[in-house]
Amino acid sequence: MNTIVCVKQVLDPEIPPAKFKIDPEAKQVIPPAGVPPVISVYDERAVEAACRLKDKHKGKITVISMGSAKAADVIKHAISMGADDGFVLQDPAFENLDSFGTAYVLSKAIQKIGGYDLILCGRQAADWGAGQVGSILAEILGLPVVTLACAIEAVDKKLKVKRMVSDGYEVLEAPMPSLVTVSSEIGLPRLPGGMGLMMARKKQIPIWKAKDIGAEPSQLDKAKAHTEVTGLSVPTRKTECEIIAGGTPGEAAANLALKISKLI
Amino acid sequence: MSPVSATYWSIPGYVIFWVLFAVAFGLFLQRFYLLYRLMRLGKQENRFDQIGQRIKNMLVEVVPQWCTLKTVTRKDLAGLAHALLFWSFSLFFISYIIFIGLAGGFGLSSLIERTPFETVYFSILDIAAVLVTLTLILAAVRRYIIRPPRLEPTAEAGIILIMVFSLMALHVLGVGFDHAARGVHASWPPLGAALAGFLSGTGISQGTLEAGYRWVWWLHYLVILSFMVYIPRSKHLHILASLVNAFFKPLGPKVALEPIPLEALEAPEGSATFGASKIQDFTWKDLLDFYACAECGRCHVNCPAQLTGKSLSPREVIHHLKEHLLETGPGLLANKTDASPGSQAEAPGKTMIGDVVTEEEIWACTTCGACQEVCPVNIEHIRKIIDLRRNLVMAQSKMPESAQLMLRNMQQRGHPWAGVQSMRLRGDWTSDLELKILAEGDNADTLFWVGCTGALVERNVKATLSMTRVLKAGGVDFAVLGDAETCCGDPARRAGYEFQFQMMAEQNIELFKSYNIKEIITTCPHCYNTIKHEYPRYGGDFKVVHYTELIADLISQGKLKLTNELNSKLTYHDPCYLGRYNSVYSEPRRILQAIPRAKLEEMERSRDTGFCCGGGGGLMWIEEQPGTTKINQMRIEDVIKTGVDTVVAACPYCLQMFEDAIDHKGIKESLKARDLVELVEAAMKQF
Repeated sequence: MNTIVCVKQVLDPEIPPAKFKIDPEAKQVIPPAGVPPVISVYDERAVEAACRLKDKHKGKITVISMGSAKAADVIKHAISMGADDGFVLQDPAFENLDSFGTAYVLSKAIQKIGGYDLILCGRQAADWGAGQVGSILAEILGLPVVTLACAIEAVDKKLKVKRMVSDGYEVLEAPMPSLVTVSSEIGLPRLPGGMGLMMARKKQIPIWKAKDIGAEPSQLDKAKAHTEVTGLSVPTRKTECEIIAGGTPGEAAANLALKISKLI
Repeated sequence: MSPVSATYWSIPGYVIFWVLFAVAFGLFLQRFYLLYRLMRLGKQENRFDQIGQRIKNMLVEVVPQWCTLKTVTRKDLAGLAHALLFWSFSLFFISYIIFIGLAGGFGLSSLIERTPFETVYFSILDIAAVLVTLTLILAAVRRYIIRPPRLEPTAEAGIILIMVFSLMALHVLGVGFDHAARGVHASWPPLGAALAGFLSGTGISQGTLEAGYRWVWWLHYLVILSFMVYIPRSKHLHILASLVNAFFKPLGPKVALEPIPLEALEAPEGSATFGASKIQDFTWKDLLDFYACAECGRCHVNCPAQLTGKSLSPREVIHHLKEHLLETGPGLLANKTDASPGSQAEAPGKTMIGDVVTEEEIWACTTCGACQEVCPVNIEHIRKIIDLRRNLVMAQSKMPESAQLMLRNMQQRGHPWAGVQSMRLRGDWTSDLELKILAEGDNADTLFWVGCTGALVERNVKATLSMTRVLKAGGVDFAVLGDAETCCGDPARRAGYEFQFQMMAEQNIELFKSYNIKEIITTCPHCYNTIKHEYPRYGGDFKVVHYTELIADLISQGKLKLTNELNSKLTYHDPCYLGRYNSVYSEPRRILQAIPRAKLEEMERSRDTGFCCGGGGGLMWIEEQPGTTKINQMRIEDVIKTGVDTVVAACPYCLQMFEDAIDHKGIKESLKARDLVELVEAAMKQF
């Protein structure tokens, strides 16, 4: 069973709010110094899902990441977890693409790799959180898509996917190949073992440019982007505290209920 | 005339003597050879350097009995009895060679018997026999009546006590019958002579006395031979193995871990081993440790995990691994092709991790080193436990979730603090201080290595700030790495994630070298121990100083003057990695004594007997295993007993552990936990 996993390198979500700076003019986040970027948490879970399938059914895991040359680090991280191969998609033409542009670039790389039974993405990126690339990618590749998976099984050449819904989960069956986006409910990603760390250490990660994957410049034209960032701001949080009075705890509770009912 | 020169059932006594000896010695060698071959199942390890020093260690520990006497100061008088038994029995052992071997077996009795030498030696043996008998009685009373927790009243122990007593009794009986049969009326050796007087008085015929002498002699000889056969088959193997183990004991740092060479992983997939999952994954020295164990249980009663009700007992770990080796080893040897050192062959039956040593036991160890400190026979418990962790973490990917979170953070973020605590970035603490933060191309002789906890955790950052102000006041020229500093690797290494440690060590060493750093000051004893003792293996030779050593030095040179009165009663807690691991005991105390009106009270468990705070070995992050209480809560009781108002720590983990325990007990008003450097700053003349 051959799987391709798309991963993204993001700012460490654990950086403290005080260190998080943006440039409202350029509508960009200013990366803080001294904090290395990490693999997007949902994408790491997609790698974990791929590894679990490989543990059971053998096969090959290929990881791709569109981003800077530093994205080789997240590919290596995936290899240390159990992936076999990986490529970084880096080209000035790929910078600041929207979800549609990103999905297009990924689709070209996936077509170049070929021979896949399953494509996995994280449910959304841990930075922008649009959650669209997976579905658009499936559309481009003409594949069925299941989003928000919390468990994936391969049974009789078909995929059995548990999908998170607001009050539980549903179980879906999908043919192979399909595209599945993975949610965090799948569980904690594994710690890379000794063998994995060594594999990652030895591995050279090739960089593919636009021409390597045959990406059409017309498709990468930012002027044709479907989405546009119109503004960027850090949300401000305001906390106000009000003590709800009442003669007895019962009265206080009633007053509280009254207050809440007015706010809703 | 020695009874050997007589003839029995027309067989010459000499023939009987040597046939019996050959059988017993054969049985001894057979067992010995098996144990040797089992030991060779282990992996290679070089312990043959500095032979002279090793011989010296062996003699210094064993002959004056330092091995067991060292714990006498801990109100453990068993060492005295052991020393008496050892010296007395050594005299008996020599007497067997002279009076049984040479005089009997080699027919030299005419040269030895009835000489003044014999009289003097036997007189000494009489005294020794009395001492031995007394110690045997004490030993029996302890084992079977008092039953202290460290001793198991095993049958093996009883057999040996009876055997040794028989040897004493048969010796005295022999002398008595001999003298009585020959009509010797002497007053030396006292016991033998008195017995002879008694036997003569009973009117037993000379012939019976002579026959009695012969039978006592042969019986004595048989017991000596059975002793020889029994020893390598029982826990009393330690008599021989501990001697060898003293020879092979580590010559460098007291607690050392063996690195897994990174090159070993270039091996084809599947053939590399990570840590120990099978008995043959340990080194031969580890297996020798099992033989050396006398099950004395000193480790058992000093282990903080055991004392707080966890399932871990260092004694049981060693004992169970020894049993596992003896059970599975012969099968591995029989299947010779698989029995190469470190081979993949799985011994049938029990799995080592799970059945022999449980995961719960493996994760309960704080690596505090109390077990190794008290062990009379130089067993290295900790590295075995780390080897088991290495296998769980790197080969099986099985570990407590808290361990996994910490290790993932080490891997991705270069420090062990995840979540809320890491909200303070490494560089943050340096703001508003005029510090020399190293940047590319800079050079510095002295580096202040802050350490993750000192840079990231709010409480510990306070101590770090005090530290920089004290260093400046003392006129120390130092630089820091700012946000380029990562973890030293200690938590990864103790949790069994060896490769992560090695990568961090290599990176850090490269970084230090790029700034031409010569000397490194640390506040954390774990960083101190790692950089000082573990980095040299990877080419990092730096002078490493703990801040307690440095400040003590600055005070004695008059560069730091502690003039402010503190008016406080305090106690000092020895961090394991500073005290036991590195023997830094006096410097912190000297500093505290230099503070005006600070009264230092010692806890009962202090210096080398110091009790862990619970935070070592990665357990600062890994959830404590289920037990009856937490280790830090037990330790805070020690503090409370001294009646002080401040407990002083010289380690960021200890400081946090104490604050937790104080919070938990709700005694914040009466007891404070302070870092030593914070007190130094408070006592310093303000500039």
